Amino acid sequence: MKLDVRGEICPYPMMRTVDALGKLPPNEELEVLTDHAPALATIPWEASKRGYAVDVEKVRSGEWKLTLRKAQSPLDPMAVVQEISQKTNIGG
Amino acid sequence: MGLGMGFALQRGRLCFAASFRDLFVNGRGELLRAVLLGLIVATTAFAALMARMVPDPSTGELAPKIHVWPLGANVLIGGLLFGVGMVLAGGCISGTLWRIGEGYLGSLVALGGILLGLEGAALSWNWWWENSMSKAPLIWLPHSLGHMGAWISVMAVLAVLYLLTYWWEARRAGPEVRFPGQPQPPLVTFQDRLRALWNRLFVQAWPASAAAVALSLLNVTAFAFDHPLGVTGELSAWSSRTFGLLGLYPGHLEGLDQFAGCNLVDAPPGLLTNTFMLDVGLVFGAFAASVMASEFKIRVPRQPVRYLQSAMGGTLMGYGSGIALGCTIGAFFSAIPSLGLNGWLFGLGLLGGAFVGSQIIRRLA
Repeated sequence: MKLDVRGEICPYPMMRTVDALGKLPPNEELEVLTDHAPALATIPWEASKRGYAVDVEKVRSGEWKLTLRKAQSPLDPMAVVQEISQKTNIGG
Repeated sequence: MGLGMGFALQRGRLCFAASFRDLFVNGRGELLRAVLLGLIVATTAFAALMARMVPDPSTGELAPKIHVWPLGANVLIGGLLFGVGMVLAGGCISGTLWRIGEGYLGSLVALGGILLGLEGAALSWNWWWENSMSKAPLIWLPHSLGHMGAWISVMAVLAVLYLLTYWWEARRAGPEVRFPGQPQPPLVTFQDRLRALWNRLFVQAWPASAAAVALSLLNVTAFAFDHPLGVTGELSAWSSRTFGLLGLYPGHLEGLDQFAGCNLVDAPPGLLTNTFMLDVGLVFGAFAASVMASEFKIRVPRQPVRYLQSAMGGTLMGYGSGIALGCTIGAFFSAIPSLGLNGWLFGLGLLGGAFVGSQIIRRLA
């Protein structure tokens, strides 16, 4: 499933992702396209609380694609965000 | 100064709207803690500066140009309207300015709303002055507590609030997630070290707390030279100029010459004032920051309701900041360090407004 939240600013990218996760058929991935940098912190955080692993990829200047997949085992949100912040520049 | 503000705000993504809203939307208090930390720094420096300006506060003298004004109902109501508006528009007034610099078209719509709201505030200002502000008590803490006492009291309250955000988070937000820095490649040469510094400053995002401290240091510098920071007074001059062209000039505004703050402006001064440079600099600072981090992009809201939301939120913010003499910067971030009680009253309004706003945006998803 794909979700395009470009043009949306906080808190909508996160809220709409959470909504979409609720409707996501089992064994499917959710691809979220966003151009709002703060969402790179809020979406993985909410996703990992719900047991989804997140992959972030920078598409172009100011645009990112997040891929959310149900994880096999319960996730440690801390480890997930740690991993993402290593791949992008959102670390603090 | 404005460039620095815009730069710091964009890099740290310091958003006053989010700092209040997140408490209600997802229970997080991280941004509010950054704001509180900034207030702790600014309050300490302001207190020291004011103690030099007014050695004996018990005489009833007020330090010049500080953001202290009467505790009228207008301050609380302005804060409430502002709080609802900033959550609807997705950013407060300074937030709207730095998001314009990042390329958000929705924020331009919000700016239009702000100007409209400010005009409304100017048109109704004399009523607010007559019925609220002229009768309300002005409380400057050093008058009764002395400089030291006032500083200690404000510090104590800020520290308690800081801890309260942790309590709130533990109750509402679930597990806390940290963002550790990137693992750094080994730094061998001088060039490696310089490049690492460059990346830290210009490419990676700053922690919000660093941006908040940078903002309060700019604020202290501004106050040491002349007056604390505020972005709304200038916008009100734009508003008054724009609507003046349409023949909607608000006329004389009562009582405003008695207070320093982001006052509404009844007689527009020249165009290139230092407050003009501050606001325009803020937009360009944010633009520069987002280009350097390759995050700039023209962003267009796709849902028509967002434009309406931005326009309405902007109008509420404009009106609220007009009647309360400032926005999250002037009436809050500069007012609490000025050691008056009006900053707290406005902050209380912001909190209440953000709660109401969060309920509204949930229904507009």
